[in-house]
Amino acid sequence: MKKTVIGGLCAILLSAVSTLAHAETIRIANHGQAGIDAMKSTVERIEKKYGVAVEVVEYPAPDKDYLTKLLTELGAGNAPDLFSIPTTAAVADMVEAGYLAPVSTEFKAWDGYANLYDVAKQLAVSPDGETYVMPFMLGIQEIYFRKDVLEKAGISTEQPKTWQELLDRAAEVKRKTGSYGLLFPAGVSWGSGAFDEGFQHLLVGSKTPQLVGADGKLDLNGEGVKDVFNVYKTLIDKDLMPVQPLLGPEPWVVPKYEMFPAGKLAATTCGSWCYIFDWGRESKNPIPDVTKIVGTWTVPGQSGGQYVLANLAAPWAVNSKSANVELAKKALMEIGSVETQVSYAARIGNIPASKDAAKDPEFQKLTELVPIHAAAGNGVFLKQASGFGTVAEGVARATEALLRKETDAAGAQKILVDYVKETLGDDMVK
Amino acid sequence: MARNSHEKRTERQLLLVLLPSLVLLLAFVIYPALYSVYLSFTNEALTGAAALRPRFVGIRNYVRLFNDAKFWNSLFVTFVFVMGSAVIGQFVLGLISAMALRRPIRFRQFFSSIILLPNAAPEVVAGFMWISMLAGGEHATLSRIVAFFGINPADWLNAFPLSMIIIVNTWRGIATAMILLTAGLSTIPAEIYEAARMDGATPSQMFRRITLPLMMPTILLYMLISAVSTIAVFGLVYALTRGGPGGATEVVSIYIYNQSFTAFQLGYGAAVAVVALIISLILGIGYVRAMKVEV
Repeated sequence: MKKTVIGGLCAILLSAVSTLAHAETIRIANHGQAGIDAMKSTVERIEKKYGVAVEVVEYPAPDKDYLTKLLTELGAGNAPDLFSIPTTAAVADMVEAGYLAPVSTEFKAWDGYANLYDVAKQLAVSPDGETYVMPFMLGIQEIYFRKDVLEKAGISTEQPKTWQELLDRAAEVKRKTGSYGLLFPAGVSWGSGAFDEGFQHLLVGSKTPQLVGADGKLDLNGEGVKDVFNVYKTLIDKDLMPVQPLLGPEPWVVPKYEMFPAGKLAATTCGSWCYIFDWGRESKNPIPDVTKIVGTWTVPGQSGGQYVLANLAAPWAVNSKSANVELAKKALMEIGSVETQVSYAARIGNIPASKDAAKDPEFQKLTELVPIHAAAGNGVFLKQASGFGTVAEGVARATEALLRKETDAAGAQKILVDYVKETLGDDMVK
Repeated sequence: MARNSHEKRTERQLLLVLLPSLVLLLAFVIYPALYSVYLSFTNEALTGAAALRPRFVGIRNYVRLFNDAKFWNSLFVTFVFVMGSAVIGQFVLGLISAMALRRPIRFRQFFSSIILLPNAAPEVVAGFMWISMLAGGEHATLSRIVAFFGINPADWLNAFPLSMIIIVNTWRGIATAMILLTAGLSTIPAEIYEAARMDGATPSQMFRRITLPLMMPTILLYMLISAVSTIAVFGLVYALTRGGPGGATEVVSIYIYNQSFTAFQLGYGAAVAVVALIISLILGIGYVRAMKVEV
């Protein structure tokens, strides 16, 4: 009996000592296996450099579910110390909610700051002028098309110069091959993708290329918004874009992972990750020789001009209520390292935000991404504002109504405006 | 006097026995319900300025709700879903199963097990299983079956979304209906049927004049449980369609989730939840009153 008691006391003491030995622990949230794998070496580096334990908390993979869980935990005050944010559109709202710790001082003093692309630095600045996120990866998006399908059908692979040319090209594909001509992500199931990977592409080249006025209010009644919805409507009405798969629970699976590799969809908007994750070396259904088979067009403007959309790919931030904000900020700067950027690029296919990545031998092996990285500085973007998360959901609802042929472009714009007004209040919208 | 003190002691003991349940009910049912009512009068949100500084907005959420076509759509979808799967599907098939399995048929236990099987799979697992069966394309299970009869395959969850979730929920709920209705059937004395048979009653007459009237309390109890629990069904529909396409299967539980955790408007979501609670209460009170009717 005595021995048992002593043994028990020793076990308790040992456990207490080991807990004290790891008194400083940083909890980081990560989602998706590829992202978790990409962070592995960084986690080890942080542990070694700062003598802390890093606990990686895995979250459900789809971005929408991850964001919901993260926001719920942030609201409840028990979120991890460090986390990635799945969409740039959510950042301004999270700042307003007071969830993110400002990192402007540390960010500007960080040795990697000078070599970041300007577009990354600009994207990281919130409407209040502060920086709250580490803009270490860029999502560089264009239109990806099947060169082989177009060439075989005798269709030009030249860069379309206007929206009309792009639509004409899609119609020609449908007429000559029977395949769908062009996909813009749309609908509620795609989550923020309807906004991030679809709507924004066209809006930046429209007559009203921004959604935020000088007063910080959302301007959703612009002519450009209606014109963008009209492009969707044309694609849907003329059966140039697959509609049924977009109404299902995982809308990206059929068009991106099945139809495009099979040549049944000739073109789609996508980011550089498509060359790696969707159809490249990390894909479950790869297209052999992907860069030769799949070409890229920049997104043409409504009546000219060419646009390459840039946004922050899963930027990382520090929980403002973290028990150890300073340590978390140091870890955040570590995440910004070129090594981590290249690790992400290799597994997910996003573009490193640092110009220095071009000199990295590991990155040079990613031949699909090297030319995209070199041109990343030319990316254009939407000025961010509070309420963008709601706008993204409104765009998803408006495009869903178009998919279901329940409305026209003006009706879709009204759905967007009404939803944002109902959710945020009339005073947030011009 | 001694009796009084004994009664008091018994009362205290009863209270002590009930106390843990009362505490749990207060903590996990009453308090959250009251908190939801409070939330419904605020603009509380999960993100944006309202997350940091929520404010009292009076009945704004309720005014918005009554003018919200999507809310009314969700109520209509819920009504069709409850009527189709709980009131008609599960009840009719549950009653047929209960009556059939009371007869001395061969492989009775085997058939009982088959009917009980759907309850063995968790909601979400069952949902994903049905997705693979109802998927579009010629290789999906249902498409293969209908192709055998010369019917064109379809993407069933997109083409007939509401019908499909009704079928899946019916499939899942038959066992509960069967168990409850079997219990009801077993309370009817066999002598009544024997007497009716001797009087020359047909099976149909026995069903209408004996089984149904004597089963009425059980049927009403089943309807109460089934209707209220079907209004709250979430996991199955979320796994199957997430409320889509285009709100076609957005039952009220999904609508509450979408408002609270997709649009992140906790205040508005709470207002919808309060209305759903009131509807469930009205339904419950109606059934409880009906159950008191003498048969």
